[in-house]
Amino acid sequence: MSLASKLRQLIGPAHTTVSSTAKRQVNLDPILHGQEVDTPFGTCYVVEKAISLEEKHGHWPLRAAFTTAYGNLGQPEPLEIGKALFLDTETTGLAGGTGTYAFLIGLGSFTDSHFLVRQLLMRDYDEELAMLYLLEQELKSKNSIISFNGKTFDIPLLQTRFALARLGLQGCAEKEQLDLLHLSRRIWRQKLNSCTLGSLETSILGVRRINDIPGAEIPGRYFEFLQTGCGQLLQGIVEHNALDIISMATLLYRIQITLQLQPEECECPWEAEALAYGALRQSDYTRGLLYLEAARQLCHNRNQYLRLLRTTALIHKRLGNYDRACALWQETLRLAYDDLDAYEELAKYYEHRAKDLATAEQITRRALAIAWQTGSARAAALEHRLRRIRNKQRLRASS
Amino acid sequence: MSLENVLKGLKANPRFHNNITFVHRIPAREGIHEAIPDFLPRELVELLQKQGITKLYSHQAAALSAVEKGEDIVVVTPTASGKTLCYNLPVIRALLEDETARALYLFPTKALAQDQVAELMAWSDQLGGKIKTYTYDGDTPGDARIAVRSAGSIVVTNPDMLHSGILPHHTKWMRLFENLKYVVIDELHIYRGVFGSHVANVLRRLQRICQFYGANPQFICTSATIANPGEHGAALLGRPVTVIDQNGAPSGPKEIIFYNPPVVNQPLGIRRSALLEAEAVAREFIKAQIPTIIFARSRLDTEVLVTYLRQAFHKLGKPETIRAYRGGYLPKQRRQIEKDLRDGKVMGVVSTNALELGIDIGSLQAAVLTGYPGTIASTWQQFGRAGRSNTPSVAVLVANSSPLNQFMIQNPEYFLGRGAEYARINPNNLYILVSHLKCAAFELPFVAGERFGDTDPTEILDYLAEQMILRRVGDRWHWMSDNYPAVDISLRSASTENFAIIDTTGGQTRVIGEVDRFSAAMLVHEGAIYIHESNQYHIDKLDWERQKAYARQVNVDYYTDANLDVDLKVLDVFAEEESPSCRRNWGEVMVVAKTHMYKKIKFYTHENIGWGQISVPEQEMHTTAYWFSIPEATVANASRDALQSALLGLANLLGNIASLELMCEPSDLGVAAHVRSPFTSAPTIYIYEKYPGGVGFSEQLFSAHERLIQRALSIIERCPCPSGCPSCVGPVEEVGLEGKIYASWLLKGVLQNESSQQVTATDWPGAYHS
Repeated sequence: MSLASKLRQLIGPAHTTVSSTAKRQVNLDPILHGQEVDTPFGTCYVVEKAISLEEKHGHWPLRAAFTTAYGNLGQPEPLEIGKALFLDTETTGLAGGTGTYAFLIGLGSFTDSHFLVRQLLMRDYDEELAMLYLLEQELKSKNSIISFNGKTFDIPLLQTRFALARLGLQGCAEKEQLDLLHLSRRIWRQKLNSCTLGSLETSILGVRRINDIPGAEIPGRYFEFLQTGCGQLLQGIVEHNALDIISMATLLYRIQITLQLQPEECECPWEAEALAYGALRQSDYTRGLLYLEAARQLCHNRNQYLRLLRTTALIHKRLGNYDRACALWQETLRLAYDDLDAYEELAKYYEHRAKDLATAEQITRRALAIAWQTGSARAAALEHRLRRIRNKQRLRASS
Repeated sequence: MSLENVLKGLKANPRFHNNITFVHRIPAREGIHEAIPDFLPRELVELLQKQGITKLYSHQAAALSAVEKGEDIVVVTPTASGKTLCYNLPVIRALLEDETARALYLFPTKALAQDQVAELMAWSDQLGGKIKTYTYDGDTPGDARIAVRSAGSIVVTNPDMLHSGILPHHTKWMRLFENLKYVVIDELHIYRGVFGSHVANVLRRLQRICQFYGANPQFICTSATIANPGEHGAALLGRPVTVIDQNGAPSGPKEIIFYNPPVVNQPLGIRRSALLEAEAVAREFIKAQIPTIIFARSRLDTEVLVTYLRQAFHKLGKPETIRAYRGGYLPKQRRQIEKDLRDGKVMGVVSTNALELGIDIGSLQAAVLTGYPGTIASTWQQFGRAGRSNTPSVAVLVANSSPLNQFMIQNPEYFLGRGAEYARINPNNLYILVSHLKCAAFELPFVAGERFGDTDPTEILDYLAEQMILRRVGDRWHWMSDNYPAVDISLRSASTENFAIIDTTGGQTRVIGEVDRFSAAMLVHEGAIYIHESNQYHIDKLDWERQKAYARQVNVDYYTDANLDVDLKVLDVFAEEESPSCRRNWGEVMVVAKTHMYKKIKFYTHENIGWGQISVPEQEMHTTAYWFSIPEATVANASRDALQSALLGLANLLGNIASLELMCEPSDLGVAAHVRSPFTSAPTIYIYEKYPGGVGFSEQLFSAHERLIQRALSIIERCPCPSGCPSCVGPVEEVGLEGKIYASWLLKGVLQNESSQQVTATDWPGAYHS
């Protein structure tokens, strides 16, 4: 058997053999409206779009994103929007590893009048070096990279590509990284089931995409383009990528204005709650309580309301405002008669703080009854508490 | 009780002494020493002295000086001869001299790797923490992985992890590859056959990546005794190696006992079960507080043995001194067993060959082998598990009824004289080569003119490009697929996916073990009794699609054994030789394997108490085979039944001794017999390789045809049974009452060719009946 026929047996019959080793002369200009760019490492294809800052993307004009003063957004220095580069890649797969290529690198940056989207495309594998070289050039004038899930996906993948290129290029190293996925999760995780860019666009930004291609189809389309040279296959990908970049700019603005909302300005209970946690993380209890209060005022969801009560009560407890804490635990029990946490907190308070053993006993008994009824594993701990309270009562009676 | 006394008692006891067929005494031997070489840094020499090492064994000194000269080496010495110093000393020295230097250690199992890391940690502590050693395997937690990549001066891993976790992400390991000075490969002999052929390709990929980062590491390998360490090392590494095989380590006296269970059924030639005899012998040792290891041939045997031994020691009130140790256990269980062994909490351990490798399990004094392990090298390794440098030890080989076992036990001079097997690999097996070319292209694009090991991959790369798996642009082939090829390629078996065995007793669900796809049909079919930690589980449901077997704990007095049916189709003939009475071939075949039914076998009596059907999909395999056919005219006078029985008996026998002749594992081969093969249109016997594409065994069998036939005949003629037994052509139930006679006549018929005699019609035994 010949090697070819053995290979056929092992791998299966060959596909239509269109694969040509010569570089295809495909004119993408009529479809993508870009141009070929020369670099010391060969050519690649670049698509540029300048979008007026007055243009609206979702609820806001792009100018809003440009003129807002940004805080530090979890980084050491406040973000300089003029020196930030928005970045999103389209890749040949999600598996990672050295065999996954970024074939399209979308970049976004602000000028005084426009938002520039610059997309670097390798029309075949031999254009990768040129594409990486152009990325390196773009990065030179910037100090931070803004991405959506870039910290775990796009940036490591690009760094792998830079390492494989062996050109001694810096790539994305040394640049500040701002990952909008992480920030979005903090604010909207409770509100949205999934914090994908798509769901944020729909629910938060007011962006609607028409005929957008599903991300899972992208590698296959690119491979088909490589085989057939059919430029239409890339059109959807390039548009999809550009929208991702623009949405990131709007999302950044939306995150910033949300983070600077005062408690009384909040309109969404979820955002108020997220802001409360933010303040609490920085040990700013006063502001934290104000946001929690605002969230409770706006809240329409029972689980959230109970969670807000619990958190507020715990803060008051920590601050020593026991009266306020007790009132909140009582309110919790009015809404959820079987909330063992609230019972336990109250029991602790009456036993150790108020030294009111009778009330402590009564509350513990009630909690124990519920624990038995619901078969809760906490019954044992409650029994233990009850025994201790009774011992104390006996001791007090005898002295 | 001392070992000497137990042995005396054993030999005086008629229950045992009649079955001892041969005793071989290996006297204690003195060590051969040499001075610690000057080129080792003072720090290291002082540390050795602190450990009481003031001089080296001669093989250690030889290894050091060869490495010093820049050679790639293979150190071949027995268990417990201080092999680890042969690689640890050069590596530690290099790391002391250059902090940025890196070394990669490859061990065939995680357990071995863990053992080594413990030893290296001890070195590192004494050197002030300068040497950072990390294991990198499937158990390494995610956050620790980052530290390993950047800071590990010695990275300890296994070939599987190198293949699927490290090489495909080599940019993350840049610091390791750029500074890689040494690659240490322990237990080189394990990398043979299919596994070895895969590993050779993984090493080709490793060297390709090293070259990319400008590194050219030196290889330091160790191996148990094999016949061809130099050739094997060179085949694995793709470059010549220096062999160091003059052992300078001392050893205590050792007694090797060959033990043949008594014949319990004279007419059928059936011997008492090796399992039961091994258990009886082991019990004597363990009762006398002699730490003992019992090697079983399969997972099933392991569990059966543990059950028996536990019951025996339950009566003595100490069942926990017996533990099982085998491949299907989860890592945590295995670590605990290893620790209990070292701490002396466990007195007897029953193992498959997992422990044959050099795991430090303290000083065992006795080894009992249930059946011949299949290769001479393996046998010596298992013998070597008992005994350290100055204590006496004993190893007992208990034979079973198979021809290979009976041949070995009755020909101890063959065993002692033959020496170890050849380790063979075929890195260019097309199936394996293509798999690794995909992985290599994923890791780094191929450049035209680039070689892969000793092959020119151009034609295969072009084919993969036609398949749209790769894309050729200019002079490069790039990976063009959205998947990660290493995930689909397992180094250790033909199928990548393991089946999980899930315990559902009492409504819970708990994974208790796993088996590979091929074994799943045999071990966890519906109705099977699966034994785990000597608990019996009934398999209620086998979900073939989702690769899950649902089990429920039961208590029954039987175990199950599944039958495998094999069908075979010739695809291509590579070579053919014809003589008047036989035509032999070597070529490619399609094997279709199916398990139809299983037997229920009662404990202790081993009687067949029932059977059941198995419905699992057929499994197809494209492989290579050796086969020979007998011209129909030669056997025209034989009845079909006689011919059937002769072929079946001869196939059984040949299959068993082919592995001896070839020196491979018996489980690497399968046999089939056709009274009238659709391909040859004549009576035909096939011996095929149980790995897709084959690894070269069938070609060797094709040229060893004469020796195979000679040995088959001599076994048949020497076997004392009247009409076939498991020790020659197989049991009478399988080959018929006259299977042995028929097979013997068939053999003579085939052999006549050489002495240019013709088998006449009247010579054929079937003729007497017709």
